Amino acid sequence: MDIIKMGNISKMYKSGQIQVEALKNVSFTIKEKEFVSIMGPSGSGKSTLLNVIGCLDHASNGSYELSGNVVDKLSDSKMSEIRNMFIGFVFQNFHLLPRANAIKNVEIPLIYRGMSGKERKELAEHALEMVGLEERMHHLPSQLSGGQQQRVAIARAIVGNPSIILADEPTGALDTKTGDLIMELFIDLNKKQSMTIVQVTHEEEIAEYGNRIIRLVDGEIVSDESSGGILNV
Amino acid sequence: MQSRGNISSLLIRLKFSAMMALDGIGSNLLRTFLTVLGISIGVAAVVSLMGIGEGARKSIVSQFESLGENVIVIKSNAENITFDAKEAEEIPSRVTGIQYTTPVVYTQDTPIRWRRDESKMNIVGVNEQYPQIKDHKVLSGNFFTSLHVKQRSPVAVLGYNVANNLLNGRSPVGQTLKIDGINYRIVGVLAEKGKDKGDGIDDKIVIPYTSALKIANTKDILEIWAKSNSSEDAELAMIQLGRIYQRKVGIGSNIRPGNGQEEEGMEPDMPMEEPMPEEPSPEVPGEKENVFEKGEEPLTITSLNNLVKEADQANRIMTVLLGGIAAVSLLVGGIGIMNIMLVAVTERTGEIGVRRALGAKKEDLLIQFLLEAVYVSIIGCVVGIILGAWAVTIVSKYGLSAIVSFDSIRIAVFVALTSGLLFGVYPAINASNLPPVEALKRQ
Ligand SMILES: Nc1ncnc2c1ncn2[C@@H]1O[C@H](COP(=O)(O)OP(=O)(O)O)[C@@H](O)[C@H]1O
Ligand SMILES: [Mg+2]
Repeated sequence: MDIIKMGNISKMYKSGQIQVEALKNVSFTIKEKEFVSIMGPSGSGKSTLLNVIGCLDHASNGSYELSGNVVDKLSDSKMSEIRNMFIGFVFQNFHLLPRANAIKNVEIPLIYRGMSGKERKELAEHALEMVGLEERMHHLPSQLSGGQQQRVAIARAIVGNPSIILADEPTGALDTKTGDLIMELFIDLNKKQSMTIVQVTHEEEIAEYGNRIIRLVDGEIVSDESSGGILNV
Repeated sequence: MQSRGNISSLLIRLKFSAMMALDGIGSNLLRTFLTVLGISIGVAAVVSLMGIGEGARKSIVSQFESLGENVIVIKSNAENITFDAKEAEEIPSRVTGIQYTTPVVYTQDTPIRWRRDESKMNIVGVNEQYPQIKDHKVLSGNFFTSLHVKQRSPVAVLGYNVANNLLNGRSPVGQTLKIDGINYRIVGVLAEKGKDKGDGIDDKIVIPYTSALKIANTKDILEIWAKSNSSEDAELAMIQLGRIYQRKVGIGSNIRPGNGQEEEGMEPDMPMEEPMPEEPSPEVPGEKENVFEKGEEPLTITSLNNLVKEADQANRIMTVLLGGIAAVSLLVGGIGIMNIMLVAVTERTGEIGVRRALGAKKEDLLIQFLLEAVYVSIIGCVVGIILGAWAVTIVSKYGLSAIVSFDSIRIAVFVALTSGLLFGVYPAINASNLPPVEALKRQ
């Protein structure tokens, strides 16, 4: 089943007189349980694409369906709900709330879902268990290492059981060894929990963890292949 | 999208926004403290100034009450201007709108003897029209009559407290008491006016003014009270009385040219020879001299009505002043809040982006930042009220009558909350309108 269906998506940025076309007629689909890596040089539109997928931003043109919902013209409020229900974000710099402990951070998406405290706590504990941090539930982000913080962020991404996890350079701020551990966690979630993952990276080794690699250059897809051979161009 | 709109889930989100707001003010305590200070100084100013204003108003009100409604007081402040009894009696026929009049004679620290007890008391001498003029009821017995006045009878009507103290609450009517060595028959007891009201009449003895003149050993009447039916009548009467007495003072009929310091309206050919150089000599200390030093007029005609006007004007000035202070404190405190909130939004832009990514709606952030501003103003408000109340107690220790009024607190709370909301709105809207993508970019 297709989770993401993009048809001729383009994204224009206007700054003064200059117009930048960050995405040019991008079309692709992502199926359930895929682990996709998006690669490309800096400024090629990777983040822009991920933001459109994540309903953080609207495309300028084209059509986008997420889990069968057309999201092209949705309001800001509806987009918030979609992000909350269907998408789990992982960021390069973790983006945890500094004055909240691990479990409170993980609970946040559930708060915006209006879930009661007891339910939230159970789910958050479970998510922290899945990333192997049940021992550090009550630690503040400042009391955790980078890798641990990213695990908390991943727990936060998966706590609401979203359709898809979106990660923008999830290992960008980590050393190679820690990065590999995060990737192994992704593989685990992908294989054992059947989670769909789309990650952006500019590192070949990290991209190789995915089973499919989409390459962008200047806002255009130049290749789209499985980690083994070419799927389509 | 399931049941996200129900009330309990809304409350959960609201509670979270409130918690995040609290977290926000706790994140930089020094900054919060400084902002709170801005608001609390404004609030303290409002509370203390209104307290002083209210105290002043109360004292004016008590002046009204001691004066009585529609009562006009004609008072000589100069020894050389005196009235005679006939003059007072003629006023109702000469001045339209005046119903009752009485000469008023005061004696001070007059020796009183009740059985074996000796004491000193203040006495007021009036005529039989006193109860009508002052709207003062007689509790037991009767007020003295015009005949008593005419015959200079030794009869007394006691103020409420005086009567109570004599026989432990039992009516002393019919008993006698010695005033200045002469036996006076107690004919009545006046109703209670209350503490600080009615010019302390509860603690005084009222006798015919003719008798009082004898005690004071003088023929000079220095004060007349006149009563009119309505405030309109009183106003009219004031004008007529003003004309009559200006003539009297001006022409100098009935004025013994003594001290030369008369008002400007005096005839230039008034004899004012020797007394002039005599004036600064310490030979005549007395009250009168002080009166002149204060620049008081030799004769004043006062009514409740013009006092009301004065008080009204004073109150209006006070209100404008307070309005100005409230506005300025609203502005200063509010700008402080706005400033701090704009900084907070900028500082927490990344956080705003993450929360948006996790599903926060614009409203969640709007409420959070608005609440943060309101928290600051609430804290400022509480601190300000405490500071203001403290200032009021200090001021009242130094003799100014000041009160912490409920009104001032209400206004202060209103002003502080309004400024918090008003100046918190813009930063909060800024925060909620940040596009998630933009917010996430800034770290
Ligand atoms: N808000 C924006 N305004 C203007 N140009 C932008 C904006 N965001 C991104 N761009 C431009 O779009 C292009 C793609 O950016 P981005 O998606 O961030 O690239 P990548 O993530 O691959 O490095 C770049 O040329 C960038 O300068
Ligand atoms: Mg990028």
